[in-house]
Parts: sequence; structure tokens; C-alpha cells
Amino acid sequence: MSSFKELSKGIFKENPTFVLVLGMCPTLAVTSSLQNAIGMGLAATFVLAFSNILISLLKDLIPSKIRIPGYIVVIASFVSIIDMAMAAYLPDLHKSLGIFIPLIVVNCIILGRAEAFACKNGVFASLMDGVGMGLGFTLSLSVVAIIREILGTGKIWEIAILPQAYIEEPMLVAILAPGAFITLGLLMALINIIKDKKKAVKE
Amino acid sequence: MKVYLHYALVLLIITALACGILALVNQQTKPIIDRNLFDEENNAREQVISAAKTFEKQELKNGKVYYIAKDEKGKEIGYTFISCGRGYSSDVQIMVGIDTDFKIEKIIIIQQSETPGLGANCIKPEFSEKYTNLEYKDLTVDKDGGNIKSITGATITTRTVTNAIKKDIYDLENELAGITFKQEVKDELI
Amino acid sequence: MEYIAKILIMAVSSIFINNFVLSRFLGLCPYLGVSKKLDSAFGMGMAVIFVMAIASAFTWLINAYLLIPAGLEYLQTIAFILTIAALVQFVEMFIQKSAPALYKSLGVYLPLITTNCAVLGVAVININDHLNFLDSILNGFFGGVGFTVVLLMMAGIRERLEKAEVPKSMQGMPIALIIAGCMALAFLGFAGLKLG
Repeated sequence: MSSFKELSKGIFKENPTFVLVLGMCPTLAVTSSLQNAIGMGLAATFVLAFSNILISLLKDLIPSKIRIPGYIVVIASFVSIIDMAMAAYLPDLHKSLGIFIPLIVVNCIILGRAEAFACKNGVFASLMDGVGMGLGFTLSLSVVAIIREILGTGKIWEIAILPQAYIEEPMLVAILAPGAFITLGLLMALINIIKDKKKAVKE
Repeated sequence: MKVYLHYALVLLIITALACGILALVNQQTKPIIDRNLFDEENNAREQVISAAKTFEKQELKNGKVYYIAKDEKGKEIGYTFISCGRGYSSDVQIMVGIDTDFKIEKIIIIQQSETPGLGANCIKPEFSEKYTNLEYKDLTVDKDGGNIKSITGATITTRTVTNAIKKDIYDLENELAGITFKQEVKDELI
Repeated sequence: MEYIAKILIMAVSSIFINNFVLSRFLGLCPYLGVSKKLDSAFGMGMAVIFVMAIASAFTWLINAYLLIPAGLEYLQTIAFILTIAALVQFVEMFIQKSAPALYKSLGVYLPLITTNCAVLGVAVININDHLNFLDSILNGFFGGVGFTVVLLMMAGIRERLEKAEVPKSMQGMPIALIIAGCMALAFLGFAGLKLG
């Protein structure tokens, strides 16, 4: 089914973080813990899915010249909804993610998909695209977060992974700013190597 | 001209609908959010003065909110208040519980976003325990000539917590017991 | 005199200690995307400083005199991002009319400033940190300066990197991120800076 393809492309082939290189700010900021990464990923998926649906529904009603402000209002509304919902029902996560929840509205992934896909395609396809991109985003956030959290604290989600001696004196820089940049950079290089090997195998 | 009017109208309608929906969501979630905040603070209050059964809200002349802690017989056993200071990279909020002699019973850090592994270690019990049984005159960081040992690599956070609590105890002791101190606490810039 | 000291402290704080890019993770997309040439980096930086300062002013006013009195704090995200979008639009029209040469060189980057998370980020930070009107503008201004400083450094390094032999898998984004990581590591050293 072609709709499944719309969903799966966001996870690997057109992964927003590693292939499209969008949404860098939250990727580096919230990946200091797996909990934050998954929380942010799912929140962004919510916004992506619903704004894609709505923008696809409204695509013929919004004049092209004002489409960007129009999309921004739609996206900002869903961001505000998830912001209020998290403050009410998930207050601890809301506190850890802090200003990056309202910043979902300027996450280039969401506006990017609205521009590139939702305004030109049907509702169901747009939903699949949104969910796919969101899940791909969540996946990449989680991968980075797992590496950073294990190296930086020795634990994942309060479960100790590395020996106690490491937990006492972990590689702190991994959960600080430099660790974010370097981890992501090395991961991207790794993915490039894998891609090149795949290409070489094909030829 | 007509075209611009059309654009403005479309944007206005979308925005109005958006605001309407958000108002509805806000109506549903605001009471829960307020309740969460209240429960969190109440929880912290109960932790800093363990023997207290009820808390009565009061206000100093300068507007500072504090709570009188009373035991099950209604006797005043202490006060709680929230101290706030600007730390290294965030506001740090501390729930402080003091007895009727203005001696600290316990403190809890209730809000901070300091550097993980450095200033953020202020939430560890080893840090807050340092403040138990301290009085106004003891509240000085070692780097400023006092006895409170700073967190390694996080003097700023330690200083923020110490000075924030110090200022509030000063105000409280001043108004409730009429005690003034020779050395004023000056407002730190950072 | 004391006020000048306060401004200097704010400047050092926003530019070095809590640098918007390397410490707060804001403004990363342009930082990684626009930093390949020094002159385009400079133009982008100037535009960002201007927008961040003015956006801080407008969003603060809207928050203080519209959102709070009307109890509409939940509309903050929408109100702020629309204000910023409108502001960038006006700045673009203004530059197009008054300095067409500048507009030509900056042209494509201007609309991108709307989605620069540093602009919305500083607006929200000003409110969350309870800064007053003047401090908000200064925070926006110096935040922009910090962004520009780091952007220029990155552009300078990347221009030099063109002539170096970078392994194929590291070319482009990976090496840029590693460089950013080293810069972040260096800036972390400012954490111990005692001010005041």
C-alpha cells in the first residue's frame, strides 16, 4: 500500500535528522536523557500529524501568498495544545523540556513538511507523512539520547547499565553541550559510511 | 485592494478559530495545572517541616509570602517560605522550613535548571543537608569567608541558594521578631 | 556607572557564558547551514541581531500589555510567532526599499530568520526569566551578538577547511558538528567566570 510507504520513508530513507538535516536545535538540546528525547519526539509527532491533516484539509482555502503565516497559526495552535496538555498531565516532563516545547513551532521539520507535502497531497497521505516523519525524528532523538545518557550518567531511565564505578565518575561532557555536537557529528559520519558501503555493494 | 482584504480575512478567521479552540483547551487544563503547582508546593512544605499538620498563608509588609506551620494542637511550630535567586543559568527556587527561633529545619530545591553534574547537584541531599540547623549568621559560602562548602565547580549556584535564603530569613526575623542585624545583605548582581 | 557595569555583565553573560548557540542550543539551523562563507555569515549575523533586539521589545510589550491583563497567557506562542513573522516581513520590505544592495546579498536568508529558534527562544526566555523591558531588549541584542560571534568563527574555520583533506564520511555536516563541539568545549570554560 502506497500509504505505508509515506509512513516508512520518514523513518529511514528520508529521516528528518540524519538525511534531511532538519530540527537540529531540539536534537541537540533534549537528548541528554532518553526520557526527554522520547517525550519531545512524541510531542513533535502529535503536532506534525495534526497540522499536516489540517493544512491538507485547508490547502484550497488558504491563498498561496499568505500560506506561510496561515501554516504558522495552525502549527502554533497544536503546539500550544500539547504544551497545555503536558503541563497538566505530565508536569515533570514539561519542566525538563522547558522552552523547547513552544520552540516546536519553529522546528523546521514541521513547516518543511507542510510546505513540501501537506499542501499538495490528500489528508490521509499527509497524516502518514506526518506520523512517519515524527516517528523517524523520535527514533533519531532516541539513538542520540541513549548514547549520551549511557556515556554521561551510566544509566538509562534510572536503570544502571554500566558498572557502579562508572556511575560515580561518568564522562560528564556527554550530557553537556559539547557532547551533544560531537555525538551527533560522529553518528552522522557513521551513517555516511554505512550509506557509502551500501552504494558500493550495489555497484 | 480587494485581494489584500481577502488575505486579511482568511488569516483573521484562522487565527480566531485557533484562539477559540485554545481557549477551550485552556479552560480544561488550567485548573489541573494550578492544582499541580499547589500540590507540589504543599508537598514541599510538608517535607521541610515534618511535624506540621496545617499551614496558614501570611504576608510580610514587603509582600513576601510565607506560611505559618502549626502542629495538630494548633501551636505555631515554624515558618515556611520559598526563596528565589538567579543561579548560573536559571532561577533557583528553594522551599525553606525554619523553626520559631528562625533556625533552618530543612531546605528542598524545588526548581532549577543549572548545569548537569555541576550546579544541578544542588538537588542532592548531601547539599541540602548542609543547611539544616543553620541560622542567619551561619549563612555564608566558604568563598565569601563563611563555612558553607561550595559544590565543586558550582560556587555560583551555592552562593545563589545561600544568599537567597539569607535574605528571606533576614526579612522574616526583622518583621516577626524585631531583630535587626548589623551586616546588611546586599543584592548580588549575579 | 553601575548601570554600565550591569550592561557589561549582561553582555559577557549572553555572549560567552550562556552563549545562545553553544550553550542554549538556539539558532543551530542557520549556524550549521549559513556558516560556509564569511561575508554571508556577517550579513546574517547583523540581521539576526537586529531582529532579536526588536522582537524582544515587541513580544515583551505584547505580553505585558495584552496577554497578561487579558489573562491570555496561553496564547503566548501564537502571539509571539506571529509578531516575529510580521516583524521579519516588515524588516524585509524596509531593507528592500531603503538598501537594495544589502537586500540582494541577504535576500534569501531574511525570511529564514522567522524560523530561527534563537528569536522565538529569546522572546520566551525574557518572559520566563522575568526580565524587565530594557533588560529584555539587551538580552535579545547581546544574544544576537553571541550568535554572530560564533557564526563568524565557524565561517572562518569552514573557509579554511575547504583546503584541508577531510575524510569523505565526515564532509559537510559531521565535521561542522565536531567543530561546533570543540567550540562548545572551549566556551564551557567560561562557566567559571566570576562576575560582579
